[in-house]
Amino acid sequence: MSGRSGLLPLLVLPAVAVNLLVFLWPILNLAGLSFREGLPGGGLGTEFTLATWQELAADEFFREILLRSIVMSLSITLLALLAAYPLAFFVHRSDPRWRSILVVACISPLLISAVVRTYGWLVILGDRGFAPAILRGIGIEPGRLVFNMTGVVIGLVEILMPYMILCLLAGFGRLNHTLEEAAASLGAPPFTVFRRIVLPLTLPGILLGCLLTFVLTISSFITPKLLGGGRVLLLATEIYDQAIVTLNWPLAAALSVIALGVFGLAIFVYGRIARAAERAIA
Amino acid sequence: MAPHLELHALEKRFGATRAVQALTLAVGKGELIGLLGPSGCGKTTTLRMIGGLMPASAGRIVVAGRDVTALPPHQRDMGIVFQNYALFPHMDVAQNLSFGLEMRKIPAAERAARVTRALAMVRLEAFARRKPRELSGGQQQRVALARALVIEPSILLLDEPLSNLDANLREEMRNEIRDIQQRLGITAVFVTHDQSEALAICDRIAVMRLGVLEQLGTPFEIYERPANEFVAGFVGRVNRAPAERLADGRLRLGELLVQGSGTAGPGPVTLMIRPHRIRLGDGALEGPGWNSATGTVTRRTFVGDLLSIEVTVGPATLLVEQHSFAGAPGPAPGDAVQLAWRAEDTLVFPARVPA
Repeated sequence: MSGRSGLLPLLVLPAVAVNLLVFLWPILNLAGLSFREGLPGGGLGTEFTLATWQELAADEFFREILLRSIVMSLSITLLALLAAYPLAFFVHRSDPRWRSILVVACISPLLISAVVRTYGWLVILGDRGFAPAILRGIGIEPGRLVFNMTGVVIGLVEILMPYMILCLLAGFGRLNHTLEEAAASLGAPPFTVFRRIVLPLTLPGILLGCLLTFVLTISSFITPKLLGGGRVLLLATEIYDQAIVTLNWPLAAALSVIALGVFGLAIFVYGRIARAAERAIA
Repeated sequence: MAPHLELHALEKRFGATRAVQALTLAVGKGELIGLLGPSGCGKTTTLRMIGGLMPASAGRIVVAGRDVTALPPHQRDMGIVFQNYALFPHMDVAQNLSFGLEMRKIPAAERAARVTRALAMVRLEAFARRKPRELSGGQQQRVALARALVIEPSILLLDEPLSNLDANLREEMRNEIRDIQQRLGITAVFVTHDQSEALAICDRIAVMRLGVLEQLGTPFEIYERPANEFVAGFVGRVNRAPAERLADGRLRLGELLVQGSGTAGPGPVTLMIRPHRIRLGDGALEGPGWNSATGTVTRRTFVGDLLSIEVTVGPATLLVEQHSFAGAPGPAPGDAVQLAWRAEDTLVFPARVPA
């Protein structure tokens, strides 16, 4: 038995090897790229230089982009959570015969590419789309719904909601309806039952869903690019522009390293909160 | 004594099925009443309606003269012990107990004192800081009981509280529940499908089947004077034999003529005799008020304390149970034996009309 478990670590060896080769190696390469000089036309100098990083540190523009990306991603995460939580709760609570069908319905948007869905939102939110038409019909002047931050937020919330729902449903596993009944029988009104029982028990799912949605938001660039119409400048879209359009590879590499840093920070914060929550719950 | 809990024509319908039908019941203050029946008899549905976890389709629930039928569960002031205990997994034992007191806005100092007292009541003082999953089934059960009682509810509702425990613990816990219920003098409703549990601790038992109250009575009445064939068959083991009531009141079982209780008949009836009320003997027990018969042993099962013997008597096969004795192994298959039982132990019910 002990001999067998001694060999167990070997099972992760292939995954570790692949990760080293196709993940860690390119990332180190990328980091190295940010210390090279960018030549016009996409060429690279051979000298080690801090020029790109100094430029980034000095430029107000990039700090704005970073801040905007983080604030927008946090907002989208929160909105996706608010939209997905009641839905996931409903699916979790529904008759087991219907539950699997409802789960499939919730995540079926993932079967369609995000690009296609983004174009769908362009049609819906566009000036002659039906969303503005309906709003005007009920007497609200919506203003522009696409090619600005509003469009990006609406599109990303919808596109990322399936991930949030999946995480929430996974987290609802420890919720048992009898616990709510027990709390009610002990004198807790419905909102107190939610606050003291349901929320703490579903917190792990909430945290996981938020982490995933945040990371996916901050790294998405197709939807912000299309729905933002080039007017919403974010970290991911800027990396794309610098790498593909301007061909300033060192700058794109430096921004990528910053994005990676944000991911790392997000995972760190998630870990701290999740551990604290786990201590309080388990 | 004025009843503390009254159910008036309580009814629960799920679509076309009536899970509970016109149930009327009055429970006295401090009484422990059992709702007993097979699964699907409506006992748990009744309990959930009393606790407000399920709305009643019709009828009224009255507690101490106040109609609570329309009240949500958190305003009913009832302590419920759930079958799976439903302890809050993210709170330790003391927090679980404290929850109901917080909901009642009890000051912290008094809360702590009452939690300590409740834990002492179920002998779990040392476990206040444990999480529910760190406790054994019996300990979880006691925490659930303490949590329901610490709020000093007007009624205690127990939903099959012992069914997840192993046999030894079950007996210990049922006595503990009874002791605590008696000590606090609290009105309690105890749902179970286990007749021995109900007989052992309830003041009165309501036997239910298919949503209908079949009989309400003390354990003695339920066991010795069952109202019908279903109650007799559900509560305790029983021999069943088709017979005919003659005009003179005697009963004809094949070639045999016996005396029985009840007034069913004349015509086809069902005889029911409890296995342990039949004596194996040599005919010496015969006398006024006794029935006797001769039969052939077809099977003998020795289970240590009990000897159960199947005896064929005319058209019927009767199971006879008696305490085993070290002296002799008892009759063997093929032996002819004398059976005797009292007329009053011969329950007679109208034969069920084939549906």
